[in-house]
Amino acid sequence: MLSIHNIRTVAQYEAKTLRRSWLFRLFSILSLAILTIMNIGLFSPVGDEEWEFLAIPASLPLMNLYILNIAQSLIVIFLASDFLKRDKKLDTNEVLYTRPMSNLEYIFGKSLGILRLFLGVNILILAVCLIVNIISKQAGIDVAAYFEYLFLISIPTLIFSLGFAYILMSVIRNQAITFLLLLGFAALNMFYLYNRMNSFFDYMLFGLPVFKSSLTGFSNMNILLAQRIMYTSLGLVFIFVTILIFKRLPQSKIHRVISVGSLFVFISLTAYSAYYFLDNYYNKRNLKNKVIEINSKYENSDFLKVTDADIEIDYASSEISARASLICLNKHDRAVSEAPFSLNPGLSVKEITVNGSPGTYKQDGHILLVNLDHGLQPDSIVKVSIAYEGAIEEAYCYPWYNEDIKKNPFNIGPLNIDKKQVIQKDEYLLLTPETHWYPVAGLNFYPGSPAKILIDFTNYTLKVKRNNNLVAISQGERTSDENYWYFKNENPLTGISLVEGYYVSDTISVDSTDFIAHYYRGHDYFRDDLNELGDTLANLISGIMTELETNFSTEYPFARLSLVEVPVYFHSIEKKNTQTRAEVQPSMILLPEKLASINESGFQRTIKRQKRRMGRSNQVITDKELQVRAFNNFVRNTFITSSDFSFNRGNTTMVPGRYLLGPSFYFYKNNFYSDEYPVINAVFETHLQKVESPQGGFQRMFLGGLSENDKANTILRDHSMEEILALNPSNDTMRLILTVKGDYLFNLIRAEVGIEEFNTWFSDYIERNKFKNISIKDFSSNLYDNFGFNFEKYLDQWYRGKGQPGFLFSDIAVHEVIIGTRTRYKVSFIACNPEETAGIFNVGFRTGGRGPGGGRGMEGNVSITLSGGGRGNISVGMAGRGMQTNDVEKIVKLEAGQAKKISVILDAQPRGMFVNTLFSVNNPGELQFPLADLVEGETEDNTEGEVILDRIPLLHEENEIIVDNEDPGFRIYQETSSGRLKEWLKIRGDDGNDYSEMFTWWAPEYWQKTVESTYYGKYVKSAVYTRAGSGERHISWITEIKEPGYYDVYTYIGKRGGQRLMIGRGGERRNAMQDLHFSVEHDDGTEEVIVDWENAENGWNHLGSYYLSPDSARVIMTNQSEGRSVTGDAIKWVKQNFYK
Amino acid sequence: MKIEIKGLNLIYRNGNHAVKNITLTVEEGMFGLLGPNGAGKSSLMKVLVALMKPSSGEVLVNGENIQKQRKKLRSYLGYLPQDFRFFTRLKTWEFLDYSGSLAGIKNRKQRLQTVDELLDKVGLLEARDRKANKLSGGMKRRLGIAQALIGDPKIIVVDEPTTGLDPDERIRFRNILSDLSQNDVTIILSTHIVGDISSTCQSMALLNEGKMVYSGSPDDLVKQAEGHVFNLRLTQEEYERVKDDLHIISSIPSEIGWDAQVVADDVSGFDSQIIEPNLEHAYVYYMEHKINGVSINI
Repeated sequence: MLSIHNIRTVAQYEAKTLRRSWLFRLFSILSLAILTIMNIGLFSPVGDEEWEFLAIPASLPLMNLYILNIAQSLIVIFLASDFLKRDKKLDTNEVLYTRPMSNLEYIFGKSLGILRLFLGVNILILAVCLIVNIISKQAGIDVAAYFEYLFLISIPTLIFSLGFAYILMSVIRNQAITFLLLLGFAALNMFYLYNRMNSFFDYMLFGLPVFKSSLTGFSNMNILLAQRIMYTSLGLVFIFVTILIFKRLPQSKIHRVISVGSLFVFISLTAYSAYYFLDNYYNKRNLKNKVIEINSKYENSDFLKVTDADIEIDYASSEISARASLICLNKHDRAVSEAPFSLNPGLSVKEITVNGSPGTYKQDGHILLVNLDHGLQPDSIVKVSIAYEGAIEEAYCYPWYNEDIKKNPFNIGPLNIDKKQVIQKDEYLLLTPETHWYPVAGLNFYPGSPAKILIDFTNYTLKVKRNNNLVAISQGERTSDENYWYFKNENPLTGISLVEGYYVSDTISVDSTDFIAHYYRGHDYFRDDLNELGDTLANLISGIMTELETNFSTEYPFARLSLVEVPVYFHSIEKKNTQTRAEVQPSMILLPEKLASINESGFQRTIKRQKRRMGRSNQVITDKELQVRAFNNFVRNTFITSSDFSFNRGNTTMVPGRYLLGPSFYFYKNNFYSDEYPVINAVFETHLQKVESPQGGFQRMFLGGLSENDKANTILRDHSMEEILALNPSNDTMRLILTVKGDYLFNLIRAEVGIEEFNTWFSDYIERNKFKNISIKDFSSNLYDNFGFNFEKYLDQWYRGKGQPGFLFSDIAVHEVIIGTRTRYKVSFIACNPEETAGIFNVGFRTGGRGPGGGRGMEGNVSITLSGGGRGNISVGMAGRGMQTNDVEKIVKLEAGQAKKISVILDAQPRGMFVNTLFSVNNPGELQFPLADLVEGETEDNTEGEVILDRIPLLHEENEIIVDNEDPGFRIYQETSSGRLKEWLKIRGDDGNDYSEMFTWWAPEYWQKTVESTYYGKYVKSAVYTRAGSGERHISWITEIKEPGYYDVYTYIGKRGGQRLMIGRGGERRNAMQDLHFSVEHDDGTEEVIVDWENAENGWNHLGSYYLSPDSARVIMTNQSEGRSVTGDAIKWVKQNFYK
Repeated sequence: MKIEIKGLNLIYRNGNHAVKNITLTVEEGMFGLLGPNGAGKSSLMKVLVALMKPSSGEVLVNGENIQKQRKKLRSYLGYLPQDFRFFTRLKTWEFLDYSGSLAGIKNRKQRLQTVDELLDKVGLLEARDRKANKLSGGMKRRLGIAQALIGDPKIIVVDEPTTGLDPDERIRFRNILSDLSQNDVTIILSTHIVGDISSTCQSMALLNEGKMVYSGSPDDLVKQAEGHVFNLRLTQEEYERVKDDLHIISSIPSEIGWDAQVVADDVSGFDSQIIEPNLEHAYVYYMEHKINGVSINI
């Protein structure tokens, strides 16, 4: 049999040899040093104590092994392939080959030797991690995780890499090629493969989530094990093949038989685990496709309204057994003979009764069709009771969504976290309505109309069988007896969730709302971190809720708000038909364990940092105040304004936070529906939620790209909303379109009925109709009854119409006007809409002195962010969104081809006017006009309002020719630098064709288009800019001169706001833009004109007068400049002595 | 142990017929395999130590075919290959310890003792802790013989062990082998240096171009050369004339010109004197006269 002695001997000396190699020494010393520094830096009290890691103890060993594993999977390739090469090269090895050991023993020994060394390094690093873990006061210790990760991450990776290196080296017998192939494979995995097919190819666990929750352990153990076993056994297959083809005469038949036998065993194991893994992957995909397919069949069915639901559930051994007794109402105007319900396809129906008698039903996948014998008449009810059992099928949720960890990563640091929609463990259960764990009269996705949603407000009761010491949490008031937990709700809800686990709870009552925290024992770290808050907490919460209620002009609708700690990998997917996420349920928020994945949840760290900062600036601040700030920041940034940004090709995309409380103020309380316009609820929701656009704070650095509104308008330019929605666009696009269209719709009503009038009426209206479904027809007729405004007639054009209005503004003037004894200010301007579609725009003003923060932007150069009523930054794009409309002074409606003179009288001196063109071709759609310097003398005329003009004013004088950078006469001369390799790799070369944000300190080496309201343009206010240089790139404006004569030539310079200044080499503050070099071509030759940007006018700047004959005239600008970048916009030729 | 080689052939993949139909019996004691470079000695050795499979024929040790009993063979084998220069990053004693452990000395204490004894025997005790790679050529050879000896092998195969060694080292090496041959072991020594065999081997074989051209005792080989080795006294002129034709084994300048030892059938016409042949003379006589059929006449 196998000689353990031989194996150990070979292993011992192989390890000894490897340990002495410089590569291994370098690797082990470096990894030990780097990871020790990382451990101390991230996790220890002397370091940063990153809460997101410390909150979940398993993340400490995981972080260590994750990083180490990437390094060792590369190093082991070198060392393993060196082994066969060494055997070939070293003549002394022949004497070992003549020793009485089998090839099996020899290669096994070698492999063990290599493994032993690497595991040694792993264990050493884990030991360092454990020491830091013990020292850290904040992190718990998950000892098991240290072993689990060693076995899940390191060992399979090492065995696979080892085997792969052996086999390639044995077959190819060339170390250099083997290296290249192996490194290529590793790189391929890290850059291309790791996210494909659910990380099937990810042998080094670069992407496959292995995050372990301290509540429920691993999220995906079966899949994880299958993948790891697959690579381990594949590695062993390679090793056994290497043994069999090893270039040494074998000596033991038995060992050959063992090797061949093992080879087959491991091939089978590899195949089985691969099959298990892929089967799971394809089953999920297939299920999703099937759900969509089935949903397509039923999306227009007559779903009943479920008015009452009594659910009884027993959860044991990862399976549920339940009965749902539903009272359903037929709201349709025809009888319904078959009532369709959706039920998670993992659950199988045991029995159905209809009105107390055994009923019959058909099943089509997840759709149950309950037979209503004689048909249910309109406005009649039926009692349906359904008993079912099984385990929830997770893939059923969000059927349009296939997880891609690269595109939509969820991670803490570099560590990917799974996204689970349901958690069913022996001692834990988490079910949200999205899983359809009880029968729902509706679909989870309407393929023909992705923005559609059917909502029932249902009176739920829930009865949960007690299971050991698990505590059940759901919506409503909880009572319990020996056998059951009972939940009864005061209000009808859109759905209920159920969580079972070893929870403890704390309740604090504020203004008759109960705030209940449900958490695992020992997870209430915030109690210590925020120990000074004490009684203040109630006030803080009250303040926050009041602010929210004011923001949404409505009251928080529920009697309680439960904050439930759930495993960190519970992570919902963005929906297409609502902004709400499954993390926020009616009266309940599902928060990650110890708030791990939420920014600013490490209160101790935040406070420590703040203290340090205060210390540096000699400020004294009490601990309590610091804690109040930390708490407020956390709440605000998590529940009120949270969002993530992603940057792509110079444009910012915003993803709303997962825990926004906004939905509770609309989605779970009100519902508008329309069969004809299925998006209506989503549109109302997006408008009312006032989702923040990515324009605050650091956004200011990146100006010139398209705002969210502009992106949506660009998409809507040639298509109707209906057309676009039918294409099932991405969530991001969907949200943009709904927002722009929603803002338009509401402002249209406001324009017709008055801003304040509508707001007051609507606030009251939705309060009166809370927990009810309101049809858009009813809404429209109610609106008509109150204001005489026929809203419905606009909907068809709004939904199906194409074409956009476009707005032009001119003749802006500000006059002082004395009214009574007070001096007031009258702002007047002309607005016209030369396009063929009617439209509306909002006008707002900024008055008074410079406010803090963004106020500076209004002086001379306009910044896109304005300081709103002292509450942080608001943006123009937000003006008119939501029910807080005090930022809108006036909403103006312009019919197609109409022009109006608009006058507004303001109490205080206006510094700037901002206009939001909402749905229009204008780009940017948010325009700003500085008014501070425009105030002219007094005027007697104190009328305000709108006067329709006879005709659209001339866009420019008749003696003027203007060529803008958007016009055909504008040319860019640049070489494109897209190489063949880039083409092959499908790396798109930047060509400046898409509008992008502006980086003046590091401008691109090509002419890039950028938009900004201070630039010249009819609708599209854009310019091009590039990095300054010696004149190697240029642009030109060409026009046809028809009449000879002297012409004044001008160039347009729009001075942008934002970071105008940069620090120059000498330390002086300089502008990125300096001298601009123009060449004006005229009859006598070419005139070089240099414009000093800093001293130039904000607007048209004179380049001189020239005689031009009838021919084409041209002005050229190069990128020659002393500054960092140059911008080119428009050129104007004005004929002198022009008489018509 | 008795080693029987029967009809052994070894043909490499490239067609090189390295060992041609060799049949030979090696008894206990020291056996020398003599032949010029490229005669097929190392190939034969590699088959004997089961590093290579013969193309045909068989090798029996005590009646058992080694290709079928490789483990058994390896368990009583000590082998020192021709090239023995490059080591992994091991110290002298570690290399021996590694070999000893694989040779079956499981007890660590006993193994370390054996290692030190062997190091002492080959005079490497002082270099015990030096990196094996840093040893001189001679020391490496000695380490090689030490590793071949570890684990009390019954068959020791040493391939060209004295190549490149200085005379002292070579004598020392021969003595070690002679000592060993006193025990009940079979030592097969391959060499192209005649002196290695003459001073140590009881029996020998002569290999040329893969074929065995002689097997028997060294004395018999010497006998065949009797009467064919002469001492010639040559003038400078004569020396110049014959030096390219005659197989001069040694030549020493003398008063009249040169005293030269030559191997030849007939040297009439010269001032000659028949001398007693030694193995070197016999080897030259055999290789040049018997095999190649060159008649050495003037």
